[in-house]
Amino acid sequence: MCLYFNGSASQKQVFSFAMAHSCFVFLSLHVCSRGFLCLVVPCLDSLCLSASQQLVGVVGLEIHAQINSNTKLFSSSPVCFLAPPNSLVSFFDASLPGTLPVLNRRCVEAAVMTGLALDCTINRKSLFDRKHYFYADLPAGYQITQQRRPIAVDGMLTYSLLGGIKRSQVIKKNVHIKQIQLEQDSGKSLHDDVRSQTLIDLNRAGVGLMELVMEPDMSCGEEAAAAVRELQLILQALGTCQGNMSEGQLRVDANVSVHRPGEPLGIRTEVKNINSVRYLARAIDYEIQRQIDILQRGGTVQNETRAYDAKLGETIPMRDKEGLQDYRFMPEPNLPPLIVFEDNASLPAGIDACQAVVLQKIREGLPELPSVKRDRLVQMYGILPEHSFTLVNEDGLMEYFEAVLKETKAGPRKVTGWVTNELLGQLRQQDMSVAQSLISPLALAELLELQETGHISSSVAKQVFQEMWSSGKTALQIIQEQDLGLISDTAQLHSICQKVVDSHPDEVHAIRNGNKKVLNKLMGLVKKETRGRADPVLLLMRL
Amino acid sequence: MLSLTIKEVSLALREGRISPTELCRRCLDRIKKTHLNAYISVTEDLALKQAQEAETRLLQGVPKGPLDGIPFAVKDNFCTENIKTTCASRMLRDYTPPYNATVVQKLLDQGAVLVGKTNMDEFAMGAGSTDGAFGPVRNPWSYAAPYRQQTGASPDSDWVIAGGSSGGSAAAVASLTSYLALGSDTGGSTRNPGALCGVVALKPTYGLLSRHGLIPLVNSMDVPGIITRSANDAAIVLGILQGLDRRDSTTIPAPSPLTELPEDFDVKDMCIGIPKEYHAPGLSAQTLAQWSHVADMLERGGARVEQVSLPHTQYSIVCYRVLCHAEVASNMARFDGLQYGMRDYLLLDATSQIRLHPTILSTDALYATTRHEGFNDVVRGRILSGNYFLLKQNYQHYFVKAQKVRRLIANDFKQVFSSGVDMLLTPTTLTDAARYSDFTQEDNQTRSAQEDVFTQPVNIAGLPAVSVPIALSKRGLPIGLQLIGPALQDKRLLSVAQWIEQRVGFPSIKFSPSASGVALICLNKNLIMFTLGTCIFCSCSPIYYFLYSVLVVLSRGFGYS
Amino acid sequence: MSISSLCATRRVSLTIIRPSFSFLTNGHSIPYGVNFIRRTPSCSQSRITNVTRLFSSRPHNPKVPEVPTWKPVAEDQLPTPAHIPADLVDKLERLALVDFRTKQGLACLEKAIRFADQLHVVDTSGVDPMDSVLEDRALYLRDDTVMEGDCAEELLQLSKNTVEEYFVAPPGNIPLPKREERAAMLKHSEF
Repeated sequence: MCLYFNGSASQKQVFSFAMAHSCFVFLSLHVCSRGFLCLVVPCLDSLCLSASQQLVGVVGLEIHAQINSNTKLFSSSPVCFLAPPNSLVSFFDASLPGTLPVLNRRCVEAAVMTGLALDCTINRKSLFDRKHYFYADLPAGYQITQQRRPIAVDGMLTYSLLGGIKRSQVIKKNVHIKQIQLEQDSGKSLHDDVRSQTLIDLNRAGVGLMELVMEPDMSCGEEAAAAVRELQLILQALGTCQGNMSEGQLRVDANVSVHRPGEPLGIRTEVKNINSVRYLARAIDYEIQRQIDILQRGGTVQNETRAYDAKLGETIPMRDKEGLQDYRFMPEPNLPPLIVFEDNASLPAGIDACQAVVLQKIREGLPELPSVKRDRLVQMYGILPEHSFTLVNEDGLMEYFEAVLKETKAGPRKVTGWVTNELLGQLRQQDMSVAQSLISPLALAELLELQETGHISSSVAKQVFQEMWSSGKTALQIIQEQDLGLISDTAQLHSICQKVVDSHPDEVHAIRNGNKKVLNKLMGLVKKETRGRADPVLLLMRL
Repeated sequence: MLSLTIKEVSLALREGRISPTELCRRCLDRIKKTHLNAYISVTEDLALKQAQEAETRLLQGVPKGPLDGIPFAVKDNFCTENIKTTCASRMLRDYTPPYNATVVQKLLDQGAVLVGKTNMDEFAMGAGSTDGAFGPVRNPWSYAAPYRQQTGASPDSDWVIAGGSSGGSAAAVASLTSYLALGSDTGGSTRNPGALCGVVALKPTYGLLSRHGLIPLVNSMDVPGIITRSANDAAIVLGILQGLDRRDSTTIPAPSPLTELPEDFDVKDMCIGIPKEYHAPGLSAQTLAQWSHVADMLERGGARVEQVSLPHTQYSIVCYRVLCHAEVASNMARFDGLQYGMRDYLLLDATSQIRLHPTILSTDALYATTRHEGFNDVVRGRILSGNYFLLKQNYQHYFVKAQKVRRLIANDFKQVFSSGVDMLLTPTTLTDAARYSDFTQEDNQTRSAQEDVFTQPVNIAGLPAVSVPIALSKRGLPIGLQLIGPALQDKRLLSVAQWIEQRVGFPSIKFSPSASGVALICLNKNLIMFTLGTCIFCSCSPIYYFLYSVLVVLSRGFGYS
Repeated sequence: MSISSLCATRRVSLTIIRPSFSFLTNGHSIPYGVNFIRRTPSCSQSRITNVTRLFSSRPHNPKVPEVPTWKPVAEDQLPTPAHIPADLVDKLERLALVDFRTKQGLACLEKAIRFADQLHVVDTSGVDPMDSVLEDRALYLRDDTVMEGDCAEELLQLSKNTVEEYFVAPPGNIPLPKREERAAMLKHSEF
């Protein structure tokens, strides 16, 4: 039995739905992907570049970010991702007649903070509107949103992606933020196709959302993915949204069209049901290619909503009321205008400073944003910009890096290498987050310290790292147990060298004839013999 | 006892001259005897329990407040915890809210005794209390002597409407079954029945009273209304109900704590405006005469009476209609039968599992059928036209246009009040109450346009207004006049209302047993000897009246100590 | 006689400030049926004259206009009536999920629109739309503290159809059937 986990507002997520007797168990069908995105995203340079003579993609995004708050936007019921159905629902959330919205200050401050971080103009006066449509998980029959005058407008997001032949060049790009509006989330519908019914859980109904509208300034999936990742980092730095796409805290719908540069934009489709940044890139690139194929065959693109099917890797049309839909917007009569004040001095009499939203106060409290953090890393540690990119983009990696650095004499570049290659590689392989790493920063520092002080070679260090990961033992334990310390006893080393030289007369002959390159082969053989424990400097001298 | 004012009965209760349980029983008794259809639910058991509790408190000398032990009624569009709240609609006929509206809670907190939920037009959409799922409300004055005698009306067919949409609340107070009642006022729904039933009906400044728990008609215009038998009573109730409510973001702080009105209020040197546009086509000669008469009275009392102009008055009802229908379309969207309220098309299958009727194949189909059956034609009609006005292609042309006219209307009032005018005096309705049979000839749209013509501009501008009973018409039916004040001048408004009230001596209704066994109501506040002397002050038989009076005298022996 | 007497009683009390009820001071309750004496019987002599003056001969206050000051907007002042095509009614019914299915419904809609057309007689150039009379007030903002929720049982018992702790709806995303089929769907809801 497969059921759809639908959110009427903007997001359609597919979940599997298992039913045992009358008890429902939910399993996430898609293993969540955790970021690791900008590097994993398949390179579609061909799409971004080669199409430029011909048709190119144009991508705009509508992003719904769930506000990280204790209570909902207009009611004081709790916000929580996992809870028994309908246990986080107030009378207002269930739209009982006679209940009225009361705005949560935290949500306003979160939106203002996000707006400031994205260089938006904050509207001193913003308004709420009702958007009407019938859906089983929208109990009031309308959503309260900000259609006429949103809280923030006209901002800019600067994001980077790695380009160039080796993908080591950091390319900065901008995308315009049209607006940020506050609005209510909808509940969740579970479609039980067998019994032909829909189960409604209103726990999510009324949770505060920031809807961010990004202008169609992007041209392919990779750009969109990089922009969303950057936004995710900013939101997480601000603490205004937890930003987890798989849990639906960040939901991205893509407006995709294709055109020839210089010509008007083509007919667009809206792609929904995307629950990771990786799928976002895939869905967009699939959709661009699909539209190009249609146009090249002489067809026309339909203005429609499509869902991304991650299993098929395709977008498929969704049944919707697009043709008929008319949201019949109307001012929300139960909420007077939302006023934001510049500073305490501009507060009118009778308004408590603690009760008001004051820009100056929020501006002063803004934390370090990811772009500033990257610049600081490059300056402080002299590492490469692309490394600062990886360190910052990976959740917790920078903190990990700094923790290791503190405990070892190894230089920042070396630590960066270890953290971005060895550690990250291992994490990705296991689909784990930095926080889940089986090797603590302290343990890694110990390993690096052993290498730094000449106890082990770099190749052994890598070997020990693998061992540490799988066994959970410390570096020192492993080295001692397996006798992996460097062989610095010259006599022992000499005998090993002699053995190798003796058994490879041809190679020795070649070296004697002046072919120095063959020496490397011999060295490799010795290393093999010693399982990498030979001190390379001593070895070269011996040979 | 039942015709006392709140102030009087409150004192009597405190002094132990009346017991809350006896008072409550009398009210419940009278509700049963008067077949006005004023109540949708009578909360007899709860009322008696509350009265008993009040009695204990009063006996211990620790009343909760001035309303402790005093019976009140609430329009059935205010949520009452564990008490059915139907909005006179099939949609909510079995709906029992899990919470109390703020205004209801405030009255309960005072120890007031809830006797029942009053009848109305479905979802407050109407001006006659004739368009509800529980049948029309009958105006108590239909059964009083003046009307019966003057028109020779037959009690079964010629009864007149109570006005609406809070007709049940007005009838409840007028027929002495409760001392105060809550109505709601969106376009005149409290003042209109107040005028037609001869009671004081206050529409407070928008935002002064919380709407939390009031099932909305038009959020930007709705206010809870207060219906009492005197202006001072209204002031007492207003004092209790007014003020900020954190559950309603449109509430505003009360300008001052309000208790009672000054007895010696003087209109001297006040400026009373007579807006000329309130002589609208269709205004009855008698209402006009009363309007003129009270203007004279105010002038004689030393007030300056001036003719003023509110030029956009004529368009107010049109503006009101568009904004009302649009909000109705929106507010009614929540009634789909899913989370609460009606949901037909549920069947029990063989295994006792609840199943949907096989014709209901989708959520949309469920909603459409529920809404078709749950709403009457009036509600559905407003939903349909409201949605039309909100369509993208019509939004500017109708909705925004109406919002602009709204500003013009609000500005009209602003200008008049800033030019030195303190209050406005106008009629409340065009005429006295219509016979039910005549009223229902016209459709709801037409009727509302006529009935709300003088009342809705105030809602558009958010101002306070009060309808004061002035006189009986030649048909023996009440005529009311309306006072309109600037925002937050509710107390002053009521003071002027009281000043007028003290001078017009409007009669109240007295209950008596009827010859036919049908409960009848006749006039009171007059002379007993006159009544007995003429023997025919009301339509009931003199001998019955006599016997009744004897009984009453006998019963005094069992009165309160 | 009796009716005019009634009318008159309120006239004479013009001069009477509301009397305090005797029982409030004498400690006796006044059961209904016993009327309060508010004036002396001799005053009843003036009733008839009062009534006559009230309804016929009282001079009209010049501040109160004697005739209506406006007329309903004439049909020729209004724009041409909007045509409501059948598919628009169908669209509205689908959007609003209310059904009329009758000519009467359409007529009701046309009437409402025609009534609203009177707005276009008013000159509103340069006027800002007004959402609410509280447009100049700042919105109250609540603290982010949990105060509600956790009332699933209370809420679910209001619903007619629940499974476990869920509300239940029929399948979503299916448009209403065509008008003709809709009639059948609603047929058994006739009352």
